[in-house]
Amino acid sequence: MTVHDLNGARGAARVGIGGPVGSGKTALLEALLPCLLARGVNVAVITNDLVTHEDAERLRRSGIIAPERVLAVEAGACPHTVIREDPTLNIEAADRLDRSFPGLELILIESGGDNLASTFSLDLVDYWLFVIDVAGGDDIPRKRGPGVLRCDVLVINKTDLAPHVGVDLDRMFAEARAVRDGRIVVGTSCRHGRGVETVADLLCHDVLFRDMSHPDVPIRDAAAELTRAETS
Amino acid sequence: MTSSGGDDGREGAHSYGGAAGPEALAPLRVVAILGDRAEAGWHRRLHAIEHAGAVEIVEVPAADLRRHRFRARSMCGREVIVDLPRDVFLFDGAVLYAEPDLALVLRVEAEIWLRLHPLDAAAALELGYHAGNLHWRVRFDGDDLLVAAETKAADYLARVAPLLDEGRVRHVG
Repeated sequence: MTVHDLNGARGAARVGIGGPVGSGKTALLEALLPCLLARGVNVAVITNDLVTHEDAERLRRSGIIAPERVLAVEAGACPHTVIREDPTLNIEAADRLDRSFPGLELILIESGGDNLASTFSLDLVDYWLFVIDVAGGDDIPRKRGPGVLRCDVLVINKTDLAPHVGVDLDRMFAEARAVRDGRIVVGTSCRHGRGVETVADLLCHDVLFRDMSHPDVPIRDAAAELTRAETS
Repeated sequence: MTSSGGDDGREGAHSYGGAAGPEALAPLRVVAILGDRAEAGWHRRLHAIEHAGAVEIVEVPAADLRRHRFRARSMCGREVIVDLPRDVFLFDGAVLYAEPDLALVLRVEAEIWLRLHPLDAAAALELGYHAGNLHWRVRFDGDDLLVAAETKAADYLARVAPLLDEGRVRHVG
């Protein structure tokens, strides 16, 4: 059984992308999707908006991904309610994508723009990114918002704007690493494609286990043991 | 950009358990939970494997028990790929792998609970409001509120610093 077969049988990995309004969540998606598609990742997207389908329509029109692979969830209230308190709408949308696209490996779930307290429920996602941006102020990591502290990957976007908005980028990264106890922080400039391949590397490694599909890597698969245990 | 600045570099790693040892142990992919260590049958079976020194523990934080896909390391440094179906959930004592020469058992890291004692009903109301507003995971123990610290304790105490500074709530452990 290959990794691809396994993913097809058990559903796609689900990865959340959260962060404040205007930080670049949709821009990250637009930059990330071509990287993933170039690597042969079978991917689909769910966008969350407050009362429109704006981000979904933007992606569908972009030509980056087949329009039918983009679903929209309308939160109708605070965006975090549908990714944390009751993620049913997003879970149903993800299940629908799994059923519609056999072999789907990855579903990216973009939250609506929210505040620094926004977090994803692990009932919805396997892994989540939190996107902040340089222009929002270099004090954001110091504010220790739960989104900044708890995400699997903190993405600091718009690094190219640092000299224009008076931000000390080195200090901002150092403070971000400090509040996160050294967990992953990635800098991006999505408009210029910088850092996006690193985000793709992380997803391929951490939730798609792409390196594990290499034929030289020995894998002792516990599923075979389960079969033996059930029949013994 | 320097490596310390990390403009486009990967900064740190997401891992659990012990560090990788110098010897490369074969990675193992877990796609099912085989049983519960506490069950008599599994207890006996694991005990036999333990005699061979071949039971490896994989520790994960309690906050991550809902995860289905992640990379971990056993206490011996073996890389473990957890890749479970969505309707299967990890628990303390879950048997992840079992062969005569190797078994993997999941252990949940001990949780840190902050004990906060409000001095009167008004302080208790205010503390309860903050705990709810901050989405803290809590337990009640008599007159105390216990808060699960999933990050640094200081991050939690800072959120109720005015109550602590005024002496209306005491951090008692």
